[in-house]
Amino acid sequence: MSVNAKLFAIIKREYLQQVRTKAFWVATFLIPTLGLGLIFIQVALSRTLVAKGRIGVVDFSGRLYEPLVAEQQGRPKDDDDQDTAANATKDKKPLKDSDVGTARKMEEGRRQRIATKLEFFKVDATPETLQGIRTKLNEDVQKERIKAYIILDQNTLDKGAAEWRAQSVKADIVMRETVAGYLTRAATKERLKDRGVDPKLYDAARVRVDLDPHEAKEVENKDASKNAGFNLAVSGIFFFLIYLSIFVYGAYIMRGVLEEKNNRIVEVIVSSVRPTTLMLGKILGIGLVGLTQYAVWAALSLAIALPGVAAVAGMGEGLPHIPAATIGAFVLFFLLGYFLYASLYAALSAPFNTEQEAQQFVMIPGMMLILTSTTWFFAFNQPNGTLATVLSFFPFTAPLMMFMRISVQTPPLWQIGLSVAILLVTIWAVAWFAGRVYRVGILMYGKKPTLPEIFRWAMQAD
Amino acid sequence: MTSAISLRGVVKRFGKFAAVDHLDLEVPYGTTFGLLGPNGAGKTTSIRMIMNITKPDSGEIRVLGEKMNDRLQERIGYLPEERGLYRKMKVIDQLLFFATIKGVDRQTAMKRLSPWIDSMDLRPWLQKKTEELSKGMQQKVQFLGTIVHDPEVLILDEPFSGLDPINVVLVKDFLTEFKRQGKTVIFSTHVLEQAERMCGSIALLFRGRKILDGTLKDIKHAYRDRVPLPPPVEPEPELEKIFIKAVQESGLEAPTAEELK
Repeated sequence: MSVNAKLFAIIKREYLQQVRTKAFWVATFLIPTLGLGLIFIQVALSRTLVAKGRIGVVDFSGRLYEPLVAEQQGRPKDDDDQDTAANATKDKKPLKDSDVGTARKMEEGRRQRIATKLEFFKVDATPETLQGIRTKLNEDVQKERIKAYIILDQNTLDKGAAEWRAQSVKADIVMRETVAGYLTRAATKERLKDRGVDPKLYDAARVRVDLDPHEAKEVENKDASKNAGFNLAVSGIFFFLIYLSIFVYGAYIMRGVLEEKNNRIVEVIVSSVRPTTLMLGKILGIGLVGLTQYAVWAALSLAIALPGVAAVAGMGEGLPHIPAATIGAFVLFFLLGYFLYASLYAALSAPFNTEQEAQQFVMIPGMMLILTSTTWFFAFNQPNGTLATVLSFFPFTAPLMMFMRISVQTPPLWQIGLSVAILLVTIWAVAWFAGRVYRVGILMYGKKPTLPEIFRWAMQAD
Repeated sequence: MTSAISLRGVVKRFGKFAAVDHLDLEVPYGTTFGLLGPNGAGKTTSIRMIMNITKPDSGEIRVLGEKMNDRLQERIGYLPEERGLYRKMKVIDQLLFFATIKGVDRQTAMKRLSPWIDSMDLRPWLQKKTEELSKGMQQKVQFLGTIVHDPEVLILDEPFSGLDPINVVLVKDFLTEFKRQGKTVIFSTHVLEQAERMCGSIALLFRGRKILDGTLKDIKHAYRDRVPLPPPVEPEPELEKIFIKAVQESGLEAPTAEELK
């Protein structure tokens, strides 16, 4: 029987061993459930972003307390000094729904969620009595009778400076920003009054500008413009899917290698097939397990996106389509990244006897992955910037980085080609190294080898 | 005729330590060959090199006249000293997996294994996971995995170590059957007495070197005058005969052949 038939037998065994377990199916259905759950928790948590509590106001300027309270009471659901124009113009000439950009809608939604239940009260003080009043207010804050107190004076009107005293300088950011927003508007209106301008003009004149992104092309991809936010979210999800699956399946490889070694079955197998065949079979088998998981998820999301189902779920016409280029890049760079890291994981677990021992070495590629995952924002913001470009050519970061670049803005084709070529060459080199280390490592029991020893194994002649 | 297994000037070092030191070995076709010696003599290393699991530093190894290759592996049955099975795999899947990687298709494998499965009482266990089997049962599965491809040469590293008495008999039956079929068997053991009863030829290894080899008959003949002979053994009644006699004398019915098995 040919080598291929044996390789196929090993792939099949690896695949069925994983796919037949309950754990695999639990994970397959649990991960999307958890993912959705996390999104819901986020939404739910954002509703708890409320500014709530009593705040003392010491106003030496004598001009800010009343305007402050007026700002708050005038727009109890507003938290900062933006978007007033949208509210003002709405009354006169209602905007058509389609005119309101997605970003603006989201902004309004966010604002409505941040309900404020603040209560300001005036603290009478003169510069002379301030010391004593401070002592009392500090005590009130510490005993949580009030949330915080602010001290306003002429400087607040002149330079925008004011003092905020609360239990922590770090906590209650939302509340502090909300109060700052009220004060900003109140102070601005007072300053307009000083210059002889009717402060009502302020609310009427303010306008918030939204930049609606479009591609600078003769024939514009309407879908891309319309679904920019959705596509960005998809890119982000895919990015972390690649990242997570390399980790998860890498761990599968490590456990598989160590299991065979600890069961001592590996010697039986390498008396029938070459060690490299065993390693390759393992990597391919577990890779197929990963693809199976993705296929299930793809089927699930297709089912959800079906117009009928979506309508029932209250999502209108269903989700927009994910661009084919994004899906293609995802599959390509998942596979390249997986092969690269899987070989590395195989090589770095073969010499050891326990997961703890192997873990120390497997951490090296793990760290590289984590580092890449922290750079996603650079690719996101400047997909053709120097950092993103360089990282998309460095083999250990390329699978994630190049995918991100493609999904945000297609880079020049030669760059994609070069990245893939670099990855293929590196995969070949790592697989060569891994095969050799694996061959020696799987039969090494007892003493934990050192890194130089492992490299020596790789250099040994056939 | 060339030997079934032939080693010429084989050396294997681990660092400065020579595990196998210029070993020459000829195992003729159809013999049961014992590779003997104490622990650390180089038996396992030699066997692993024959199986091409470990590569020799120098020297030449041929099995069935060939250098080890993928096809040759399918003609050899190998049982390593450290046994191993996939714990989570069903017994039947495990056996068929071994068959496939030895190049045997499912049907042939099942046909070949069926009589063994019955004689070993393994049939009720075929759908069970390996980890649910007793140690003894697992050993049986392991042996079946070794012979599922009907090998021409059987290489066993310490086949008797860790076996309970019943399985020792089982393995001996295996080896006798293979011998009867004219196949070549090579096994290592540090229990010299075991080899004495089973082997036609032996090689004695010590600290990586071969001390002597040849047929058991020739070796015994050569050392006849130089080694003190054991004292003549007074014939004693066998325990089984005593047991049968004692049962009869106690007035009970004589045990059946089935009971005595």
